[in-house]
Amino acid sequence: MKIELEVNGKKRELNIEPRRTLADALREDLGLTGTHLGCEHGVCGACTVILDGKAVRSCLMFAAQCGGREVRTVESLAADDGTPHPLQAAFVAEHGLQCGFCTPGFLMLVTAALEGDPDIVEDEERLRELLTSNLCRCTGYEGIRRAVVRAAGDMKAFS
Amino acid sequence: MSSESSRYGVEPGDYIGRRLPRVEDARMVRGEGHYVADLRVEGCLEAAFVRSSLAHGRLRGVRLDEARAVPGVVGVWSAHELPELPAAQPLFPAEVLEGRDWPSLATDRVRFAGQTVAVVVAENRYTAEDGADAVDVEVKELPAVLDPTKATTADAPELFEGLSNVVGEWGTGEDIGEDFWKNAPVVVEASYRQPPLAPTSIEGRAFLARPEEDGGLTVWCSHQAPHRLRRDLSSVFEIPQQKVRVVVPDVGGAFGGKSETFPEYLVVAYLALRLGRPVRWVEDRAEALAGATHGRGQNQRVRLAADRDGRMLALAVEVDASTGAYPHYGFAPLFNMLRLLAGVYKTPRIYARVRAVVTNTTPTAPYRGAGRPEAAYAVERTVDLLARRLDLDPAEIRRRNLIPPEALPYETPTGALYDSGDYPTALDKALEAADYESWRAEQRRRLESGDGSLLGIGISCYVESAGVMEEYGAVEARADGSFLALSGASSTGQGHEITFAQVVASALGVDVERVRVVEADTDAVPRGVGSFASRSMQVGGAALHRAALGLVEEARRRTANFFGISVEEVGYREGMLFAGSEELSLPELVERTGPLRVEDVFDPPQAFPYGCYVAVVEVDPELGNVRVLRLVAVDDCGLVINPMVVEGQAYGSIMQGLGQALYEEVPYDAAGRHLLDYGLLDYLLPTFSELPPVRLEEMETPNPNTPLGAKGVGESGCIGVPPAVVNAVADALGHPADLQMPLTPETCWTALCDRSAARSAEVRP
Repeated sequence: MKIELEVNGKKRELNIEPRRTLADALREDLGLTGTHLGCEHGVCGACTVILDGKAVRSCLMFAAQCGGREVRTVESLAADDGTPHPLQAAFVAEHGLQCGFCTPGFLMLVTAALEGDPDIVEDEERLRELLTSNLCRCTGYEGIRRAVVRAAGDMKAFS
Repeated sequence: MSSESSRYGVEPGDYIGRRLPRVEDARMVRGEGHYVADLRVEGCLEAAFVRSSLAHGRLRGVRLDEARAVPGVVGVWSAHELPELPAAQPLFPAEVLEGRDWPSLATDRVRFAGQTVAVVVAENRYTAEDGADAVDVEVKELPAVLDPTKATTADAPELFEGLSNVVGEWGTGEDIGEDFWKNAPVVVEASYRQPPLAPTSIEGRAFLARPEEDGGLTVWCSHQAPHRLRRDLSSVFEIPQQKVRVVVPDVGGAFGGKSETFPEYLVVAYLALRLGRPVRWVEDRAEALAGATHGRGQNQRVRLAADRDGRMLALAVEVDASTGAYPHYGFAPLFNMLRLLAGVYKTPRIYARVRAVVTNTTPTAPYRGAGRPEAAYAVERTVDLLARRLDLDPAEIRRRNLIPPEALPYETPTGALYDSGDYPTALDKALEAADYESWRAEQRRRLESGDGSLLGIGISCYVESAGVMEEYGAVEARADGSFLALSGASSTGQGHEITFAQVVASALGVDVERVRVVEADTDAVPRGVGSFASRSMQVGGAALHRAALGLVEEARRRTANFFGISVEEVGYREGMLFAGSEELSLPELVERTGPLRVEDVFDPPQAFPYGCYVAVVEVDPELGNVRVLRLVAVDDCGLVINPMVVEGQAYGSIMQGLGQALYEEVPYDAAGRHLLDYGLLDYLLPTFSELPPVRLEEMETPNPNTPLGAKGVGESGCIGVPPAVVNAVADALGHPADLQMPLTPETCWTALCDRSAARSAEVRP
């Protein structure tokens, strides 16, 4: 079946099997391999992308559900001139990643959250719930937490 | 400036101990990392495996016709069609494998649920899985045995016909004798179970093989030891090593589970060669949890004797260790465990025996810690039992038994040679950082108030062995002013691209950005061992350090020859050579005298990092939930190259240790099927919500056996956390008998019920 959707600001046409997941369409058909597959059953969150402004598990979505909608992946985060997004810079500065496999998922999860409400980091309970969405086996999460708090501060300072 | 540094006029401390951001992060945060599943290789087919759903049985038949009819399927095979298919390879050759072949696809028998039975190769992964679904496997079920101790009994099912389920038995120390135990002033005994754990890197296993026109083979694999994989592939397929290239791209975590030459890899490589096309296999999560490897999986029986003052006299440990269905990997951690059973104590007599036993579970293998956590747990849980028996504070009993710093280097009765450190100071620092006395006071206050809340404090002191085998390192100065640092180690997320560069740049006195780390490609690095056993920096970093210093020496020699003077007249500082009034930069020297690369192969003794952990916990008396209020980790991993990276290793390792203590166990039903229908909703990894307040305290005693001084880091938390947390929970619950990991709410709640039942029995007339 044919669908048209917007991916990272560009209109894309796909001719796909109805059963194709959004994650596979992004990775295999559009070559956006920054979106990773860690469990393929919606638990780990490595495949998290932003769909119409909300963080979703792209392994639990069919591409066919995304016709006419807007998808953003990790490849869209840096500015056109290559300047990293404040969250990307903060993950580097605070050692928020080790093997890097879960990183794109965390980046998209937190980007959607901070765009929705930058004050989420001020509320320990909401921040806890947010970061509990995804799994990381390397960092013990402490570097991720620091990175998110730092990025929220940087984003406020810039805006 | 030390004499070592003034010799070259280089300040070697330039980048050592600095929190430099990692080189690899720049690509990873942009989604530009390349993992095996991200590679685009023209004409690549995808493989999917059919696995046994039963734990033990005779394979009656594998029907492939329907799968072959699935459009897009290129081929379907069981062992019957592939008589030349090589068998799985062990981690290292051993007698225990004799008569116990592990066919890469099951032949006449299946021995664990998840064992590979057939393979489907198709144009894409969807079609390959359609094909796998259409394969029909008929197995006549046999009784399964899951517990390693039960598997040693006479009526246990025999896994390999005519062979004992006990595949090997090893020991350390001299038998202590029953008379000693009878006459010892105090003896405590306990049994511990180390449940099987799933390593669960977020990227599963992945392997891509491409046959080359010259008869060679190129392989991309998410792996910890590329040169060993090359050696195995070369040997089983009879292709010379120089025609086998193993490339390890970015690796999404490993933790011991990616060191092996797995059956799946051999099937995929075999089919790629046979079909003359590239073939890839990307493991899914169900396969990773059930069909890969599990860590730990032991039953331990421990006896500890002491005098009435709590001075430990003797320790005896008997272990039945499950290797799972095939013993190819699972015996490797047992030697680490035996070597470390003295812990940090001067116990004069130690005797230990371990039996490696085949069972119908997923094969066991090294998992982060690999025998070290098992040893520390056996010792540290039992020391607490002794403290309780003698009514001594757990800190005090440890103090009375610690090996004093002046006794180091110290050889244990188990044959380990502890190099350096200060164990009592580690304990004191941990107690202070945890505010130990205040928590004890709070605990007394709560007990007296009778408010019912359950507070516990646990300590564990540990020592571990880091590094094993030699490692290759080479440093090359290039005409463009850059430097290459070639290492036989292979990062699976540790950050070698910055930490190795820091080592080399510091030794050369050059800008760290000029150093590029090259590893994980057998064509670029001639030899190597890999990254496991906390060895990357301890051995690999030390080899690079020596190679860099060797390069300075070689540069001075060449400069002396060039100017016709003696070597002593040539000075070196920050990439520049000084000969009288003449100056020459390293790139100029390369231009004038040719390529300049110095290689080193370094095989230092094992290093012994150590530390002390303190946990403070609360147990909910109604629900049995454990809340960790405070976790203190004091670690001494020798010289720290990059504190940011070391702390990251500590946090990650602590969380995996917490996972073992409180949440993780691969559950089986009685027939040996994994109870993992909901994947990672059944196998619980710690999330951010489980991250307790952690305080890290560092000690830094340089490794005396390498010029660099690093001891290795990465496994400490997995070793120190489980006994500290379980000791704390046991303290909170009044030391119930038979408290076993993981300390789920159900486990704690049951222990509480037993306690109240015992209490009401006591008050009954």
